[in-house]
Amino acid sequence: MPGRQLIMDFEVTPTSHTLEAYRARGGYATLEKALKSMQPADVTKEITASGLLGHGGAAFPVGRKWSVMKPGDGQPHYLCCNADEGEPGTFKDRWILEHAPHLLVESMLIASYALGVRNAFVYIRGEFDLPWRRIQGAVDEAYAAGLLGAKALGTDFVLDIVVYRGAGSYVCGEASGLITSIEGRKPYPRNRPPRLTVKGLYQRPTVINNVETLANVTGIIRMGAEEFRKVGTAKSPGTQLVSISGHIAKPGVYEVEYGYPWVKFLDEDCGGMLNGAALKCVIPGGISTKVLTRAEIETLTLSHESVNPAGSGLGSGGMIAIAEGTCMVRLLQVLLRFYHHESCGQCTPCREGMGWMHRIIDRIVDGKGVPEDIDRLYAISHANDGTTICGMGDAAGYATVGILNKYRDEFEHFITNKRSRFDGRLECLA
Amino acid sequence: MPRLTIDGREIEAPAGQTVMEAAKEAGIFIPYFCWHPELSVPGNCRICVVGVEDKGGEWVDIACNMPVAEGMVVYTNSEKVRERRKATLQFITLNHPVDCGICDKAGECTLQDYHYEYNGERSVSVDSKVHATKHYDLSARIVLDNERCIQCTRCVRFTREVSMSFGLGMQNRADHSLVRAAEDGSFATDAYSDNVIDICPVGALLSRSFLHKSRVWYLEPTASVCPGCARGCAVNLWHRRPEWRLRAPDMRAQNEGIQRVTPLENPAVNGPWICNKGRDLAKVFGRARAEVSMLKGRPADLHGALAQARSLLGSAGKPVAVVSSWGSNEELAAFKAALGSRFTTFVKADHEPQAGEVLEDAILIRADKNPNTAGARALFGDAAPAIPKDADLVLVWGEGFDFRLIPPEAKIVYLNAWLQPENGHADVFIPVSIQTERDGHYTNFAGVTSAFSKCFAKPVGVADAEAVFPALAATAGGGQ
Repeated sequence: MPGRQLIMDFEVTPTSHTLEAYRARGGYATLEKALKSMQPADVTKEITASGLLGHGGAAFPVGRKWSVMKPGDGQPHYLCCNADEGEPGTFKDRWILEHAPHLLVESMLIASYALGVRNAFVYIRGEFDLPWRRIQGAVDEAYAAGLLGAKALGTDFVLDIVVYRGAGSYVCGEASGLITSIEGRKPYPRNRPPRLTVKGLYQRPTVINNVETLANVTGIIRMGAEEFRKVGTAKSPGTQLVSISGHIAKPGVYEVEYGYPWVKFLDEDCGGMLNGAALKCVIPGGISTKVLTRAEIETLTLSHESVNPAGSGLGSGGMIAIAEGTCMVRLLQVLLRFYHHESCGQCTPCREGMGWMHRIIDRIVDGKGVPEDIDRLYAISHANDGTTICGMGDAAGYATVGILNKYRDEFEHFITNKRSRFDGRLECLA
Repeated sequence: MPRLTIDGREIEAPAGQTVMEAAKEAGIFIPYFCWHPELSVPGNCRICVVGVEDKGGEWVDIACNMPVAEGMVVYTNSEKVRERRKATLQFITLNHPVDCGICDKAGECTLQDYHYEYNGERSVSVDSKVHATKHYDLSARIVLDNERCIQCTRCVRFTREVSMSFGLGMQNRADHSLVRAAEDGSFATDAYSDNVIDICPVGALLSRSFLHKSRVWYLEPTASVCPGCARGCAVNLWHRRPEWRLRAPDMRAQNEGIQRVTPLENPAVNGPWICNKGRDLAKVFGRARAEVSMLKGRPADLHGALAQARSLLGSAGKPVAVVSSWGSNEELAAFKAALGSRFTTFVKADHEPQAGEVLEDAILIRADKNPNTAGARALFGDAAPAIPKDADLVLVWGEGFDFRLIPPEAKIVYLNAWLQPENGHADVFIPVSIQTERDGHYTNFAGVTSAFSKCFAKPVGVADAEAVFPALAATAGGGQ
C-alpha cells in the first residue's frame, strides 16, 4: 500500500461496516472523547491545526471554512455531507459510504458538535444504491443505539442526520446546488456573495464538506493534530483516497499518503498499465483537472505542492490513466458530451458554451472540422473562465484547454485528414 | 455610507446596495437582461459584468450581485468588460433565431439594443442552432417562442415572487432548458400573467391578443389610468401614431382603437405591474358607442336634447341625480358646481364584478370595479342610491343603473356613452365622451389622484359631461 493508512486501515469483511464491527475497532470512542473532554471551539482549533484540506476537489482548508461559523449566534446552523460523487473518474467516497459508514456518522457527530449544528444532512447521489443502503443503515443503527436523535453518550448534545437522495445531477455536487436541491428546488447553484457559511441551507450558516474530508475528522481528533501532521507532507497533511481507473492493470480505490511518488504508485501499487501498454498521460483528479503527460509526472509526488505548480491539481482524487495510442480528440468528445449533458442551464456562458463545444467536437469527429475550430474551442473555454455562477464552466474550460495545449497536433491531424491519428479507439488493446 | 468610484465619478451608496443599484441611482447605465428591480437577483445572464480595480489588476464580475464597498473603483466600459459582454452576446445569440423580422418585440427588444451597442458582429458559429418549440401555448393569453428565450427566468421569478401563482418553471438542462407552465394550470388562472410579456427582455413571451397586430414603432403610448377597479393602476394605452394612420375605408377600429395596454410604473399605486383585466381595456372601450341624442327614443340633435333637459329641470320639484363613479374629478366637480345644490345626489357603481373575475386580492385587484368611487364620494357622500318615491326628475349619469328603481311618473335624463337598451327609455338621452376622449383625473381607494390623457377625438354628436352640466344649469336656477 502506498504509505500509511488513516481511513482504509481495517480489513473489509461482509460485516465490517456494521456498528458492532466499528465499535470493536474503537468506534465512537473519539466521539466520547470530543463530547466529554473538549469544548466545541477546541475541536475546530484542532481541525485548523491539523491543516486538513478539503477532499472534494478545491482543497480548501477545512479549518478556515469552519472558523466562519459562530456557534451560539442565535440561529440554526447546518452541516451537509456532500456524497453526490459525480466527477467522472471519482469513486472514492463510495468506498467510505460502503465500508466505513460509521466513520462518517461519527465524524459528522463530532463536526456538528464543533459547529453548533442540530440537524445534519447526507446528500447522496441517487445512482448510489449499496452506498445509500449502507449509510442509511448506519444512521438507523446510530439512532437505535441512541447516538443520534437523543442525548448522545450521556451528554446534552443531540444531532439528527437525514440521508437525502439526489435524483442524479452533476451540479448537485456543487455546494450551493446541493443545498438548493435539499430545499426541494431545481439545483441551480447560487451566486456568491453571500457565502454559504453565512447564508446557506434555508438561508442559514451551513458547512458543506465532502465525505472523505469529514471522514478524516474522527482520526484527527483521535490522534491529535500534531500526530496527524506527521502523515503526509508539510503542506498536504494526511492521506488522499485515489480512485484510479482507465487503462490501468489494477483499478480501484487506494489510500495514498501525500508525498508518495506518482510513477511508483502507478507502476507498483496499481500494477502498471493494462496489457503492458505505455502511459500516454494521466488525468490527476477528476476530468476537470488538466491532463499531465508521462514526462510531466516523472518527478512529481502525489501532493498539492508538487502537482499544482505543474499546472494541474489533485482535485477529487479521481485519477484516470490513459495509454499510448488513445485518441485525445475522441477523449475530449466524451468529456464535452458529459459537460453538455450536465450543464444546469442557469447561466449563459455554460448553458450555451457547453453545447457549442460539444457540437464543434462532434463535428470534428465526424470529419467535418474546420481549422478555426481549435481556436473557437480555446475562445469558448476562455469566455467560460470565471464568468459562470459555479465552477463548472471553468472546469470544462480547464479540461479542454489542458488537452488542446498538449495534443493540438492530434486535433489538427483529425481536422486535416478527417480521421484520427490513431485507430480512434478509447479502449486499450495493446 | 460607502463611497465608490464608477467610471471616474465618485458616488455615495448605502451599505448593502449592489453596484447595479448604486449605478442606476447615479444615472450610470449598466446593461442587464435577468436583473429586475422588483425581482430577486439570479445573476444568470452575465451581461452586467463590470471591472473592479484591484492590486492584481482589474477583475470582472457581475454588478447585480456585487455589494458596494468603501473605496471601490468600478469600470462599466473597460476593454475587459467590453470583451466579456461581446462574448456573452455571442453566447446568447448562439441559439437565438434572430427572426426579428417577424418578432413582435422588435423595436423594443433589449437583445436587439445590446447587440448593436456591445457586439455588432454576426455569429461566429458555423454549427446549426438548437431548435425548440416555436409557437407553444403557455396559456390562453400567452404564446411562448422557446427559440427566442434567453432563459433569464424573469417570468419564472415573477410568478414566484409577485403573482405568487408558482405557475412557471424551467424544464430540462443546458441549452435544452425550456420555460414551461406548471401542470396544475396555475399559470392559466394567474390574474397577473400578462406582466411576463412586458418583463421578457426578448420576444419569447407574446401576447395572443397583440400577436402580429402591429409593429411597435407604428404605435405611441398615452398615459392613462385603468378604470377596471378602485386601484386605478397607471397604464400606457398604445394606439396608432397619427402619421401612420391607415387610410383605407372602415379603418376606425385600427386608427382609433387601443392596440395594447402596458403598465406605466407608479410606485404609489401599482409599481410596474397591472392585472390581466387591465390588458383587456380595448374590450371595454371598444364597445358600441351611443352617438346620437334621443328624446323618448327618437333621435334628436344635441342642442334640442339639452334644451328639453333644461326645461324638464326647470319644472322639476324634486330632482334626484345618480352620478357615475367613472366620471373624472373634473366632471364630478363641474356637476357639483353647476347642479349640486339643485339635485339630491347619489353615487352609483357603474360596474359590478363579473362572473369569473378575481374579486379582490392582496396584490392589486380591488373589489370595487369602478375607478373613481373615492373621488365621487368625497363630493357627494357615501349613501347608496335610493330614489325617493316622490322624485319627479331623475338624472342618471353613466351605465349600470337599474331604471326600475325610478318611480314610474318621474322624468329621466340619461347621460351614457354606450349603445344600450336603457338609452331609449329615457325622456332625454345625451351621449357623452369616454375616458380615452378627454383629459382628467381619478382618485383611487387610497386617495391617490392620477391623471389620464386624451388618446382620440370624440365622435361627432357626443358631448363632454363636463360641458353638459353647466349647460343644463344655465336656466335651471340652481348652482349658479
